[in-house]
Amino acid sequence: MPPGRTQSEEAAALIARMAQGDREAFSRFYDAFAGAAFGLIQRVLRDPAAAEDVLQEVFWQVWREAAQYDSRRGSPAAWLIMRAKSRAIDRLRSIRRREKTFVAPVDEALARRDDPAAPNPGVAAEERGLVQTALGQLPPAQRRVIELAFFDGLTQTEIAARLGEPLGTVKTRARLGLERLRGILKDERLPAT
Amino acid sequence: MNRDEITELAALYALGGLEGEDRARFEALLEGGDPTALAAVRQFEDTLAGLTAATPEAPPASVKAALLARIEAEGRPARRASVTPLPDRAGRRGMLWPVVWGGALAAGIAALAVGLTVGSSYEKRVTALGQESAMLRGELERQQAVIALIRDPSTQVVSLAGLKPAPVAKARMFWHARAGGLLIAAGLPAPPEGKTYQLWAIAGKQAPVSAGVFGVDAKGTGSLRVPPLPGVGTVDVFAVTLEPAGGLPAPSGAMYLAGKS
Repeated sequence: MPPGRTQSEEAAALIARMAQGDREAFSRFYDAFAGAAFGLIQRVLRDPAAAEDVLQEVFWQVWREAAQYDSRRGSPAAWLIMRAKSRAIDRLRSIRRREKTFVAPVDEALARRDDPAAPNPGVAAEERGLVQTALGQLPPAQRRVIELAFFDGLTQTEIAARLGEPLGTVKTRARLGLERLRGILKDERLPAT
Repeated sequence: MNRDEITELAALYALGGLEGEDRARFEALLEGGDPTALAAVRQFEDTLAGLTAATPEAPPASVKAALLARIEAEGRPARRASVTPLPDRAGRRGMLWPVVWGGALAAGIAALAVGLTVGSSYEKRVTALGQESAMLRGELERQQAVIALIRDPSTQVVSLAGLKPAPVAKARMFWHARAGGLLIAAGLPAPPEGKTYQLWAIAGKQAPVSAGVFGVDAKGTGSLRVPPLPGVGTVDVFAVTLEPAGGLPAPSGAMYLAGKS
């Protein structure tokens, strides 16, 4: 990294090169962000095979749409992660829709295959990871709203119904929770910088 | 809208839970370039990106390899067979054309030398080489069809996992509603005498449609090129069962592989 260039500027430069068809830039961008995206997608879907498909879809989209990246709208990391999150939630919703009508034998066969002794990598990450500790430092009511929206793909009214709280409360908790989370993540980053 | 209200909508927007009238109002603010709304979304999205960056999970190397292959295929659009690079084995046969032309020329000279009698050995050789080149051209066309399938953004890629009879088996299905698809399977046991593997495509609540039968080699790998299936568009499930040789119109045997799109 050239001196004085932030990680974000470096990533934005890679996106600009990708827009010109630079495969080396794509490879480096993938190496920098695939882990975070895959962790998120796995946490949402809890199905490694589906998560791999979605990850591929997300990076394929990134490659095709690199020219549309606008640094004024957000950092490269946010650009990618928000995309990964929406694709994962889309997939989750389509799985849920299908589950209502789905061919039962296939589901049963796939379910039987799950070895209870083998830890689910998504869950394992959740248990040991900083997500848990960062989220874990939030008041449970705020944490729940963030989890239901971000990892489970529920809308504001669905969250309000699930929690039996008024919509206004859900909105306030979402804001307070994210603001506090921002402070926590900043503090955790300090020792490293 | 006051600042707190905008920040609340921004939080739910970043989390993906904003809907209805709230969403419309907030998106109008963003489109209008409202600095409070833009700054709040940016901040919250960065926070969420920071949250995910804290728990990375290494994806399997196959994902990156598949992406690079797809990009590679995209960057090299299908051209005339004569300029598409071939894999090694076929590449060595690139020497074929000079041999064909050399053979034809020699045959011509022989014809001149001995009147209208062409040496039968040359004739046989030219025929054999012609057949070989037709075969190579067929192989090339099949490979180009596979590359076209992989590089098409509307191709579905579905991972199939091994089930109880073959837990270590794995497969990947590339499926395109109009072009058909390709199954690549590994880790399957050799089917017993008189049995074969059969691939099924299931769309929504419809009955499974046979996508063909296939066997496996000594290493347990097999592949199947599937033509477009009448009446089948987007497929939700691909499954492989063990069936009597020749396959059946509906699945009857044990399921070895299955995957949902």
